[in-house]
Amino acid sequence: MALNGDEEDFEWEPPTEAEMKVIQARRERQDKISKLMGDYLLKGYRMLGDSCEVCGTVLLQDRQQKNYCVSCQELDSDIDKDNPALNPQAALSQVREWQLAAQSPAATRVPELNGGQSSSSASSQAGVTVPQPRPEHCEGAAAGGRAALPPPAVASPPPPASAAAAAVAPIRPPVCPQASTRLPVLEEAEEAVLTKLRWATAQLESSASLEASIQLCSLISSCANSLRSLRELSQ
Amino acid sequence: MERLHLEHVLQSVSALESIILRSFGPEGGQVLFTRDTGRVMLSRSGERILTALHLEHPLARMVVECVWKHSTITGDGSKTFVLLLASLLRMIRATAAKEPHMSRLHNSTAAAAEAATARHLADRLLEFALTELDGLIALNVLPHGSRVSLDDITAKTPPEPSFQTLLLSFFHTRLGNVHCEFFRDLMCELLSRWMGKTGQPSSSFRFIDNNFPALHTQVSGLPAVSSRLIEGHVIHRDFATPWPQQNRRPVKAVVFSGYLQPRLLAAGDVLELGGEESVTEDASVVRFSSWTERSLESVIATLQSFGVSVLLCALKQSSAALALAAQAGMGLVECVSDEEMSLFAQLSGVTPVPDSWAVHPEHIATLTFCKPLILGAHRYVHLDFQDAEERLKVKPCSLVICGPGEEQTDQYARAFQAAIRMLLTAWEPVDKTEISTLDVKETFISNKCTSLPTDAISGESACTSCSMHPHQKCVIEPGCVIPAGGTFEFLLHHALHQYDRSCSVSVSISAFVPVSHILANALLSVPRQIYSHNRKRFLQAQTRVMALAPQQSHILGARLRQTDGPPEDGKQSARSCRKDSAALTLLDLGLESVSCKYHLVLAVVQCLTSLLRVNKVLRTHTVLHTTSHKLLSARLESPEDVDKDESP
Repeated sequence: MALNGDEEDFEWEPPTEAEMKVIQARRERQDKISKLMGDYLLKGYRMLGDSCEVCGTVLLQDRQQKNYCVSCQELDSDIDKDNPALNPQAALSQVREWQLAAQSPAATRVPELNGGQSSSSASSQAGVTVPQPRPEHCEGAAAGGRAALPPPAVASPPPPASAAAAAVAPIRPPVCPQASTRLPVLEEAEEAVLTKLRWATAQLESSASLEASIQLCSLISSCANSLRSLRELSQ
Repeated sequence: MERLHLEHVLQSVSALESIILRSFGPEGGQVLFTRDTGRVMLSRSGERILTALHLEHPLARMVVECVWKHSTITGDGSKTFVLLLASLLRMIRATAAKEPHMSRLHNSTAAAAEAATARHLADRLLEFALTELDGLIALNVLPHGSRVSLDDITAKTPPEPSFQTLLLSFFHTRLGNVHCEFFRDLMCELLSRWMGKTGQPSSSFRFIDNNFPALHTQVSGLPAVSSRLIEGHVIHRDFATPWPQQNRRPVKAVVFSGYLQPRLLAAGDVLELGGEESVTEDASVVRFSSWTERSLESVIATLQSFGVSVLLCALKQSSAALALAAQAGMGLVECVSDEEMSLFAQLSGVTPVPDSWAVHPEHIATLTFCKPLILGAHRYVHLDFQDAEERLKVKPCSLVICGPGEEQTDQYARAFQAAIRMLLTAWEPVDKTEISTLDVKETFISNKCTSLPTDAISGESACTSCSMHPHQKCVIEPGCVIPAGGTFEFLLHHALHQYDRSCSVSVSISAFVPVSHILANALLSVPRQIYSHNRKRFLQAQTRVMALAPQQSHILGARLRQTDGPPEDGKQSARSCRKDSAALTLLDLGLESVSCKYHLVLAVVQCLTSLLRVNKVLRTHTVLHTTSHKLLSARLESPEDVDKDESP
C-alpha cells in the first residue's frame, strides 16, 4: 500500500499463519478486556490514569478505593495459557508433539506410568509422558482437569475401548514443582475436590437427563474454580 | 512521567466504545443511571452516558470532552464519534505497524517508532480531511441525497423527502418511537412561529438555540403529551408583590438591572454624620434613612406617572421597595435571570434601566397582558408583547415541556435543543475559508452570538459567513439530506477508494502517500454496527447503495478545483441521479443531514490528531480541574505535549 517506493517497504512480509493466530488471539483478548472494562465503568467504577505494572492494562477503582485490574484478576493470563503446568489443553498438545517425535517407547511406558501415577503427585514431572490420549476423550480429559487415575483402575492396564473416564489418564501436571512448599491442608482440600470432580465426570458421562447434566457441569466448573484458587494459594 | 504508547490510547478509547455500543443504532438499548440519592435517569444519548462516567484517565477525559463539544454544536452523533474514532485508531495502528522505515529516525524502541508513525499518519489524515473531503462529499454523496425545503413545515403530508421526516428520524433515535411524532409536530409548530417571513432559517435556528433556556419551561409530573406552546413569553419567577387584578390594557413594564432603592451604603462603610452638633446620632441616622425612603417614593411616583404597572428586576430588592410597590399597586418580579432579561429586551425593544433615578419613556415596554401562570407546581409570570408581530416579524411563543418525572422532562428538553442544533448545523452553509483554521469547533463557537444580537431577528446579514466572502461558493449546500442507515458511509467509502486509486495512478502530483484508504475502511465500521444484529442486512444495504454509486470518478474535478467548476458538475449529475435517488427508497431509518456527518468526520479526525500528539503524561499532586462537566471549557492540564516549547 505504501507507494513511495522505499526499499525498506519490501522488508515487510505478511504475517505467517502462526503469527496470525497469535495476533487474532491477542485481539480477542483485548476486545474482552475492553468489554469488561466498559461493564465496570457502567457499574460505577472509576477509570484511573495508572496502568497495571504486570500487564499494562488501565486500572479501575471501585467505590471502596480498591484498585482493580481487569486482565490480571479476571481473564486468564495471556501466557499462562501456554504453560502446560496450568493448562491441560497445552499439556495435551505438548504430549502429542512428543509422541510424534518418539513413537515406540511410548507404548511400553504406559503400564508403568499408570502404576506410577497413582502414587503421590510429586513424583510425576512435566517431562513424563503419559498413555495415549484418545481424541474422543480429549474433552472429557480437559474437563476432568487434573484428575488422577482412580486407584482401582490402576491395577489393570486400562483397556483401550473402555468408555469410563478411568481409562484415560491425562497428564497429571505437577501442580507445584516444589512439593515441599505445599501445606498438607491444601493438599487434602485439593484431593477432596478432585475426588468430587472425578465422581461428577463419571456421573456426567452416564447421565441421561438434561437437568442433571447441567447441574453436573456447573459442579465441575466450580470444582475447577476452587482448584485454581487452591493452586493460587499454594503459590 | 510515563511514556504513552498507542496501546494505552487504544485501550481507553475501546473501553468507551464498548460502553456506547450497547445503545448504538436503532436497536440499541438505554442506560439506566441511578444515584445514591435514589434519582434515576434513563438515557440513550451518547454524550449523557459518557459524561456521567467516572473517568480520571486523561485520554479518556479528552475524548469525552471532544464528544461533548461536538454535541453542543451538532446536537447528535456522539456515539458515532466514538465508534469512528476507535476504528480509525485501530486502522492507524495496523498501518503504523507495517511501516518500519520510521524507526530509522528515532533510534528507540518499536513502540516509540510506531507512535511517531501513527502521529504522522494522523497529521496527514487531518490535512486530507481539511482540504479534500468536502469536495469529495459534494461530488459523490450529495447527488444521491436531496435538498429539503423549509417552505411549509406544518403541512400534514408533505412530499418526501421532507423536513418533517428529518425531524422525525432525529426524535426517533433520541427518544424512541412513543412520542416522536408528537414532538415533531410540536417542534414544527414552534419553528414556524419563530421563523420570520424573511431572512435565512439559520438565523432563527441560532436565535432559538441561544435563547432556549428562556424559551422553554419544564413541567414534571404530567404526561408528555400535555406539552404545548403558549403565546408570548414566560418568566420563570413569581410576583414578589400581590398581583392586583387589572383589566387595564395595555400594560406597561420597566426592566431594572439595578436596585430600586438606591444603595448608597455598602456593608462596612462608615457614614459620617456631620452638620449640627446638637442633633444626636440616632436622629441623624433616622433622618438619613427617611431621606433614602423619600427618594424611593419619588422613584415609585415617577413610575406611576408613566402608568407603569409591572417592574422586572434582575436583583433582589429591599423590603422597603417591595412594600412601596405593593402599596402603589405594581407587580414586581425580582431575580429575573440574565437570559430572560436579554430576551425580554430583544422582544420588547427596550433597554433595561441601570439607574432607578433615570426612567425615561424609551425604557417603558408595552405588553398586551401580564399575569401569573401556574404550570405544574410553580407559578410563573406570563406576558405578551403588543406589537411584536409587526416589529419583529415573528410570533413569540414559549414551549412547555411536560414529562412524568424530572429526568424524563430534562431528557425531552435536551432532545429539543439538540434538534435545534442539528438543524442549525444542517442549514449552516459550509464555507471553506472557515475550515482553514485547524480548530473548527472554536470557529463555530465564536460565530454564536451570546450577547444581545440585535440583528439576529431582523432579516439582514443573518448568514455572517457567507456575507463575509460573497465570492466564495459554499460547497455543501444547506439543507442537504441523505437517507440514514449508513448510506453516507457507504458512498464516502466508495469515493475514498476511487480517490485512492486515482492517486496511485498519478503519483507524480504529490509526494505524500494518500491516507484516504484508512478513512475509507474505518467508515465502514459505522454501518456494520448499525446492522450488527443482522449481517445479511448490512450486505444488502451495501449492495443497494453501491449499485447507485457512479463508476466513473468525479475525483479529478475535485483535485483541480475552481470555484465554479464542481457545483455545476454536481448539479448535472444531481439531475441524472434524481430518479436513482428516488429508487434509493427511504430506508426505515429515516433521513440525516449531510452537513452534520461532514462535521462529525472532521471532528473525529481532529480529536484523533490531538490524541496522538500526546507524548507524555505528567502527574500532579493536586487536583487541577473539577469533575463537573459543565466547566469543561477548562483544558485538561495533565497531558502535556512534549513537542511544544517548555513553558512554566
